Amino acid sequence: MNWSRLVKRSVFTLLVTGASSSMVAQIDLSGYWHSPMQEDALERGGGPLSGEYIGIPLTDAARMRADSWSASLLTVPERQCIPHPADYGPSFSNLQIWKDMDPATRQEIAWHTHMSWMEAERTIWMDGRPHPPAYAAHTWQGFSTAKWEKNILTVTTTHLKAGWIRRNGVPRSDRATMTEHFIRNGDVLTWVTIVYDPEYLTEPMIRSRDFTLNPYGQMGAYPCESVEEVDRPEGVVPHYLPGKNPFLTEFATKNGLPQEAARGGAETMYPEYQKKLRTLMPKPATKP
Amino acid sequence: MKRRLLILTWLATATVAFGVRGYAHHSFAATYFEDKRVTIEGELVQFLYRNPHSFVHVETKDPKSGETVRWAVEWGAGGQLGRQGVTRETLKPGDHVIVVGNPGRNDDDHRLRMVNITRPADGWKWGGQFE
Repeated sequence: MNWSRLVKRSVFTLLVTGASSSMVAQIDLSGYWHSPMQEDALERGGGPLSGEYIGIPLTDAARMRADSWSASLLTVPERQCIPHPADYGPSFSNLQIWKDMDPATRQEIAWHTHMSWMEAERTIWMDGRPHPPAYAAHTWQGFSTAKWEKNILTVTTTHLKAGWIRRNGVPRSDRATMTEHFIRNGDVLTWVTIVYDPEYLTEPMIRSRDFTLNPYGQMGAYPCESVEEVDRPEGVVPHYLPGKNPFLTEFATKNGLPQEAARGGAETMYPEYQKKLRTLMPKPATKP
Repeated sequence: MKRRLLILTWLATATVAFGVRGYAHHSFAATYFEDKRVTIEGELVQFLYRNPHSFVHVETKDPKSGETVRWAVEWGAGGQLGRQGVTRETLKPGDHVIVVGNPGRNDDDHRLRMVNITRPADGWKWGGQFE
């Protein structure tokens, strides 16, 4: 064998093994994933009460906006069919994931997620394209790019439309960005979202949601129709003026917590807060 | 040991119960007084069979003022009700119905979350939870 042929074969072998190793290095996220709703079940199912902010690192501005929020707001026709934004979507419904491959190079072009509720669908670009300029439109699902970090798909999302952190009016601004980690262990997918919001969060808001693989998964259509749900004069936007929301103390009262704890803030996220909580709790009456 | 078993049983039951609790786009707890119930009786004037939630509109007479009040009773999504045998033809305007529901927190809305509904004319009933 002459040198030229040997070099050519070596280069070809290197290219083939290099390409195939990049193809098999990552785990496959494709499939239908069932949301068992076991984590934070009460918040994600029936939902939180107004004024229930414990565990959220919200700013004073966010707290003020949440205090003025009325649940009736979601009955106005303009808001009945809005999907959950990308950062809240994982909390809520079953999931389908699939990917687009370049047919020639077999490289990943994009991953897609589809949530059954309101058919929220995202594209997560894998082809190295840049995020759009700041003035580009903000959408419910934002603009997402990702890269593999070993077997974890790490996603960066920008251009989110203003949304919410919790379904009781705690807001998330359109300046927020998000980092996500998709972590698959066997038939369990853990989807971690980390939201950074300079407007309404003093620290990142970190949540995880678990899903289980459903090999028999099906996902039907979810058409939504805006109607007059509630009979009210045109133009009314339900809200509470500052100091007028009568439900803000209900959560703490029902659960025997100090009102200060229910008001949330970064401090209430951490285990150390339990020590402070003990000092805030009313002392049990001592026996004479 | 017995106490631990009881706690574990309660936790398992609660997990199953909460696991099947609703997927509402809004928070039911923030929208309704879930621990209260009211009963209304009147004529069904509109049945909105749809996503994200169906609505039954019922007109009643205010016993004090005699004025007509239009109640909006929130129900399950079309697909969920369909699986329970409720179709868009099940209820029609003009049906006389009795509805029990959790009252909304905003009095002006005259809103209920459906707990059960009865149509005395033919004895048709629905009761239960919805997502």
